[in-house]
Amino acid sequence: MTITKRIATDVGGTFTDLVAIETGPEGMKITTAKSDTTPPNFEAGVLNVMAKGNIDPKDVDFMVHGTTVVINALTERKGVTVGLITTKGFRDTLEIARGNRPDFFNLHYEKPEPFVPRYLRAEVPGRMTYLGAERIPLDLSGVPDIVDNFRAEGVQAVAISLLHSYANTAHEEAVLAEIQRLWPDVSVVASHQITREWREYERSNTAVLSAYVQPVAARYLGNLDQSLREKGLPQSPYIMQSNCGVDSLAATSAVPITMVESGPASGFWGAAELGKLIDEPDILALDIGGTTAKCSLIEGGEVRIMTDYWIERSRKSAGYPIMVPVVDLVEIGNGGGSIAWVDDFDKLHVGPQSAGALPGPAAYGKGGTNATTTDANLWLGRINKDYFCGGAVDADMDSAGSALKAVGDKLGVSTDEAAQGIVRIANNNMVNALKLVSLNRGHDTRDFTLLAFGGGGAMHAVALGQELQVKKVVVPAAASVFSAWGMMMSDLRRDYFVTQLADLSEGSAMGIEAVFAKAEVEARATFKAEGVDPAKLTFLRYGKFRYQNQEHTTEVLLDGTVTDGALSKIADDFHGAYEREYTYRLDAPVEMVGIHLVARAEVGKLEMIPAPLGDADASEAIKGTRDVDYALEGKHLATIYDGEKLRAGMAFNGPAIIEDPGTTVVIHPNNTVSIDAYGNIHILLEGQS
Amino acid sequence: MSDPITLEIIQNSLQATSDEMFAAMRKTAMSSIIYEVLDMGTGITDAQGRIASSGAGIPAFIGVLDKSVQFILSKFGDDIKPNDVFITNDPWHGGVTHLNDLVLAMPVFADGAIIAWTANIAHNSDVGGMAPGSLSGDATEIFQEGLRLPAVKLIREGVTDQAVMDIITCNSRMPDFLLGDVWAAIAAVRIGARRLEDLSVKYTPTTFKAAMDSFMDFGEKTALAELAKLPKGTFELSEPQDDGCTYNVKVTITDDEFIVDLRDNPTQDKGCTNTSRDGTIVCAQMLFKSVTDPETPANEGAFRPLKVLTTEGTVFHAQEPAAIGFYFETEVRVYDLIWRCLAPHVPERLPVGHFSSICGTFVGGTHPDTGRQYTIIEPQIGGWGAWEGRDGNPCIFSGFHGETYNTPAEISEARNGLFIDKMELNTAPGGEGEFNGGRGLVLEYRIRTKNGFLTAGYTRSVVKPWPLDGGEEGSGNFIEVDKAAGEREHYAFVSGLDLTTDDVVRVITSSGAGFGDPKKRAHDAVALDIKNGFITPERAREIHGYGE
Repeated sequence: MTITKRIATDVGGTFTDLVAIETGPEGMKITTAKSDTTPPNFEAGVLNVMAKGNIDPKDVDFMVHGTTVVINALTERKGVTVGLITTKGFRDTLEIARGNRPDFFNLHYEKPEPFVPRYLRAEVPGRMTYLGAERIPLDLSGVPDIVDNFRAEGVQAVAISLLHSYANTAHEEAVLAEIQRLWPDVSVVASHQITREWREYERSNTAVLSAYVQPVAARYLGNLDQSLREKGLPQSPYIMQSNCGVDSLAATSAVPITMVESGPASGFWGAAELGKLIDEPDILALDIGGTTAKCSLIEGGEVRIMTDYWIERSRKSAGYPIMVPVVDLVEIGNGGGSIAWVDDFDKLHVGPQSAGALPGPAAYGKGGTNATTTDANLWLGRINKDYFCGGAVDADMDSAGSALKAVGDKLGVSTDEAAQGIVRIANNNMVNALKLVSLNRGHDTRDFTLLAFGGGGAMHAVALGQELQVKKVVVPAAASVFSAWGMMMSDLRRDYFVTQLADLSEGSAMGIEAVFAKAEVEARATFKAEGVDPAKLTFLRYGKFRYQNQEHTTEVLLDGTVTDGALSKIADDFHGAYEREYTYRLDAPVEMVGIHLVARAEVGKLEMIPAPLGDADASEAIKGTRDVDYALEGKHLATIYDGEKLRAGMAFNGPAIIEDPGTTVVIHPNNTVSIDAYGNIHILLEGQS
Repeated sequence: MSDPITLEIIQNSLQATSDEMFAAMRKTAMSSIIYEVLDMGTGITDAQGRIASSGAGIPAFIGVLDKSVQFILSKFGDDIKPNDVFITNDPWHGGVTHLNDLVLAMPVFADGAIIAWTANIAHNSDVGGMAPGSLSGDATEIFQEGLRLPAVKLIREGVTDQAVMDIITCNSRMPDFLLGDVWAAIAAVRIGARRLEDLSVKYTPTTFKAAMDSFMDFGEKTALAELAKLPKGTFELSEPQDDGCTYNVKVTITDDEFIVDLRDNPTQDKGCTNTSRDGTIVCAQMLFKSVTDPETPANEGAFRPLKVLTTEGTVFHAQEPAAIGFYFETEVRVYDLIWRCLAPHVPERLPVGHFSSICGTFVGGTHPDTGRQYTIIEPQIGGWGAWEGRDGNPCIFSGFHGETYNTPAEISEARNGLFIDKMELNTAPGGEGEFNGGRGLVLEYRIRTKNGFLTAGYTRSVVKPWPLDGGEEGSGNFIEVDKAAGEREHYAFVSGLDLTTDDVVRVITSSGAGFGDPKKRAHDAVALDIKNGFITPERAREIHGYGE
């Protein structure tokens, strides 16, 4: 049996991470490494981290790469100048947007600026109807002038978005061909290449943002591929996507916008895969990093993928829509570095401002004077002050103490109470985010396992789990590099969303089946062109349904071919799913609004190898004891365990703390802990068995 | 256990619950005015009906729900039971706005006593009355505007009163929509009530109540702190209106009071441009909140320093049975009146005038592809006023609407069976200044079948958005109808106009007003305006002195 070597590299804002896993007759060997991110030549950082981890590209059988290049180019406005071609009468769609004022009492609200100014938004005559019929023929006679003007204005990428192109792509295809003919070397994208769903503002903005980042991302991926191949990497890396799958480097270079939320997606996919591995298919996944916490719900081992994704959207701003498949997640500004502050009216808040890497929490001793969640966790003994950041940083407890005291003074409470307050507020913010993806959608949290990862996940997980009364809490092995592990578990995956209205009544099945069949043919052709064995390709079919006259849809998983005989079961499934989410059902006609087809193929996914379960006695992993303040449950003497010495089969009870170089697991009194065959930590809450 | 952290956690949970009710209702409603336009609101009051928290949506609806709950409390007294759900829509029975807006409210109990209410309000597509969509500019009595629901029980201890439900649906031209929307509203108050019950069990009803009280006291404290920073004195304004009337306001600001005196105003309208006193109070509350503290969530405490004086029998305090269908235009006028009165005195807190009309537009007929009836009920977006240092926003909803969305052309064409020929910025002259007002909208509906109708009511058509410091006024709101036969008609108020195939209804909304002398506008800014096609070189020379 040969050794297979898989690696995942992840380029973040500060660090580039590497995880390598070798599987072979000896079992599994996991290596991690970290080095600085190297803008603007990011590929250098990737090669550096591989060298640091002693990885020779020649030996790598399968490589996945994740990057924040797209989201960074968008938020830092570092894309290229884009020209937009749209339907006559709709030049201003991008600027009109949806007209909403989320910050409604603020009369000085500032509407987000469009990414393309008016003088670079051009129109072509021609109209399709919503049924996909041509109403007014396309007139391309103005396109040469448009192209000349775009060139003169320094346009580097062109986006095309025409009305009703989701229903009929012919006009967009014709404009696309004309641009390619007149200006062969320009980067160009038409909206239908990214999405086949309706809503012209959302689709146009998606095409524009994709064009905006395309040259930047293509250059990045091209350089990365070339550097790695020159060093002997046998096949191009796969690129992590926002839909929890990976895609080929070539396909991603053409439409890079699909990478926009790839960072969180890999962690949530890891959560789904880990759930299957440990027989817990229903998971509440929580990822707590330095500045934010993100959560997502996984049901039956499946993540939920949606196309209602916005950047820079908040209670203060309308943001910008990107209509691509993105894992359904809620993100809040609450991480380890989130700053605690007291407002003018003596109310305590935590986040969304973060102390970042510099100066970082006060305890970093780098001049930070603001108390952060990490400082509070240190002060309460939850984090070991003598093993801060895995021993890499000397905790500056004086700075942490005075920062916390300042918060306490403003509130009129002791430093201890201030630290407890910060942890409780942070926990409450996270509980509310977890409720948004669970209770608010009709899911009972008692049926779910809370899986916590990221640097800070394990510190708060038990408190959150107790509040939500989850089934149990699981902290994965190597929780701090869990996202990279998730990448290695990903399939080559594409999500096809197509808007297609159809009544759910006798005789309509054939039309619905045809939409799925057409999308499947398209998917097969695309996968085949990339050399994927057709036998490996599998599909999941979802229909998007609603009661007639409603707008928002509920997604229902369909089983096999859509026939007239199957319609009543589909309707029943819809009524059931609707009632669970909204508490009632109606005796009204049901209609389909569109399809969501998932096409995926395994391309080198990691197979985990269980270790034999050993003795339950965990005493050899004990480092000592210390007082830990559990906030609501008060102070307790906790046993401290060395996470690196925990072995499959070990078991013990709380109060306890598990310390690992990357994370700290806080085990509350009355919790029971066991280590499974993959090194994951299972925590049962009080009264559970 | 009522330490400050616990109170804070309960308050955060109230906000989360209001938001959850809002999301649930949005996703399940049947009428596009609810799910797309989001002409709706959700909220939580305490046991006495004081507003404690509200969801996203429309600022003009936040101050409504407390008044509804207070009316229900006074009408039903001890006859309020767990799992009851009440419904009202009548402004003289706690409904505040107009008959289309159905308010649902549900008491939340703990240990046999009411601890809170969950409530919501939404514009329903048709509640009967003399005209499709229930709104008619021709109405002279409320009886012509639909079915009046004088705060009644829709659900008694968990059991739906089918008689009430049947009466409501039977009176609507669109019973399926109405039923779907009412169930969406019921689901929302129930979801909210369940969350509040959980909260009070977890933290005890006493702590739960203490959290609400402290949150409201916090609101008052914030408002008073900001009030202290405002200039003191009495400020007055008389403003002519499109219909020839003059509206008057006096605002007196003291250290602890903000008094809006609207007593000297015209006798109530014989038609439907009237509002209830409660509606007038809501307008004053909105402007007061924006001037004092737009940041923190609105609750009863935040409004405590506000006093509103009105005279019964005037347009701002209409007597039963006045018609009130177009109450929103009367309300947006009084809201803008207070705004304009104060703007010269607190220019750092208030931009200059915006298009300032709901521009309520109602188009109906038969869908040519499905044969089903359609009704568009839409407020429009328009230009906002500039302020020192910044141009106004183009095309957003008026100060009345907030987290409200316009309808995409692709969806409108599919749902309503008409064509949208264009939806673009209005580049008509107007709103120039050192800082320009934002651009309004040009939206064209091309009708595809016979037997269609148009009803609309726009103000700021004659008396246009107001500038400051030498800026230009906005361009004005109106409607043009290009008849298929060839002639062009011009309207601000129109009721039940017949439309037929190939008629084009053109909605034109105003730019916001400008701030400061247009001659002072930066050269580069004018050059970009010209390049973007927002102004012609000739107009730029004339108004900005560009190129001279």
